[in-house]
Amino acid sequence: MTVQWAAVATTKELGRRRKLRVEVGGVAIALFEAAGQVYAFADTCVHQDRSLVKGTLLHGKVICPGHQWQFDLDTGYEESQDRCQPTYDVRVEADTIYVSPIPRATAPVSTGRQAQA
Amino acid sequence: MTSKTFVTVGAGQTAAVAARTLRRRGFDGRIVLIGDEPYAPYQRPPLSKEFLSGADTFESLLLLPDTWLATNDVEIVTGTEVTRVDPGTRAVELAGATPIVADAVLFATGGRPRTLPVPGPRPDLVHYLRTVDDAQRLQRTLAPGRRLVLIGAGFIGLEIASTASSLGVDVVVLEAADVPLSGVVGARLGEVCARLHRDNGVDIRTGTAVSGLRTTDAGVVIDLADSSSLEADAVVVGIGITPNVAVAAASGLAVDDGIVVDAKGRTSIPNVYAAGDVARRYSERAAGHVRVEHFDNANKQGVAVANAMLGRDAVSDEASWFWSDQYGHNIQSLGPPTGELTIRGSVDDLDFTAFYTDGDVVRGAFTVDRGEDVMVARELLGRRVDLAALTDEDTDLWELVEEEEVMNR
Repeated sequence: MTVQWAAVATTKELGRRRKLRVEVGGVAIALFEAAGQVYAFADTCVHQDRSLVKGTLLHGKVICPGHQWQFDLDTGYEESQDRCQPTYDVRVEADTIYVSPIPRATAPVSTGRQAQA
Repeated sequence: MTSKTFVTVGAGQTAAVAARTLRRRGFDGRIVLIGDEPYAPYQRPPLSKEFLSGADTFESLLLLPDTWLATNDVEIVTGTEVTRVDPGTRAVELAGATPIVADAVLFATGGRPRTLPVPGPRPDLVHYLRTVDDAQRLQRTLAPGRRLVLIGAGFIGLEIASTASSLGVDVVVLEAADVPLSGVVGARLGEVCARLHRDNGVDIRTGTAVSGLRTTDAGVVIDLADSSSLEADAVVVGIGITPNVAVAAASGLAVDDGIVVDAKGRTSIPNVYAAGDVARRYSERAAGHVRVEHFDNANKQGVAVANAMLGRDAVSDEASWFWSDQYGHNIQSLGPPTGELTIRGSVDDLDFTAFYTDGDVVRGAFTVDRGEDVMVARELLGRRVDLAALTDEDTDLWELVEEEEVMNR
């Protein structure tokens, strides 16, 4: 199946704030920019439905304002809760940000032992 | 290598987090969690909120799903009381079962609600809230029009007030102090919390001491210190917890309103640790021993003590943090409520961050619907800041962190 990339914003719109809420097919998506990379998360936190785009970007994590859950920017994984926020593939081309409308498969973090940190 | 055995006395948040941390760090020995409740470890914070209201199921509260337990080979012994841990052999002695000899033991026995004497024929009308059974029992009484009296306006009591009133229950809160929560968040912010409840139709009576309560066939009578009394269909007593130290004391551990431990969670007996609500831990930040009854502390100390047991240095001594959700508002508090208040945002609109400041040094923060300021407040703790910039909504708080970093270079 071919992925129908959705153009959601320009890099300028994501801009200095590094956080932007967009919609793809009726689903709210939070875009984040950190160290030149753009990340797309489901905006509604898996915990208590707070909006992640209001959160904080810090040390490779997005931190939900609701209860300070810290989701890894690359995987959406919350280590101390052992849960994942849905994330989406992102493509940036000529200043346009595209998001895949299908959430990425979450890593099977809760079923296996973790690698030694 | 001989496989080692790790046992927790208690199977709540701290024990669950310790078990998870041990496996993550590669511990491949036996792990046994022993709890006196009939359930696997579950989250307690929703018991006064989403679980009490009926929005969350019990299954959603479970900390260690069955699949995780099976994959990670962690044993959970429920409904079982530990009577003593032999300080010499570290045999964990159980009521009615064979002792388990452990290489390391973690006391995570938590606390139990302080109680009031309740004479009369219907003791079941007086509730406490600590366990899922307590929450389910209370839930059955929360019907529209019922009269519920809460004794004690602490966070548990106020969360129950919020949940119950949103279910249509007629709620009265009795608090002996003149302002609720003043010891936890300071008088001014305690007043803000009280106003939140009053605006939502809850009758908070401060400066109101209870002299006694008794049940009748029809309900509960609460006698007040001013010789008046009021009646309720049910009462919840929320006047704090007592740490569960009996097993620790019987095992010879040093106890002083909690099990006394060092910064790493070590008790007075080698290879025996304590963490969570029950532990009185040495904190360099506080320059003394502290016992903290918050979820975040249970989590962080659960991780720290698991690391300590593996010989890793992972002391956690962060400023205490907690949240509360009431009437759709999200409240968060960081650090001790000391000094003056510097307000950013609007208290009247319940959309603000209050910084506790000592001169121009940030000591803590309290947010209403501004949880996004908590992380930056953490960075600002102990730092000198320009108070005018702190209150200026056009200033990005992270710039204050960066400024300080530049100054220190």
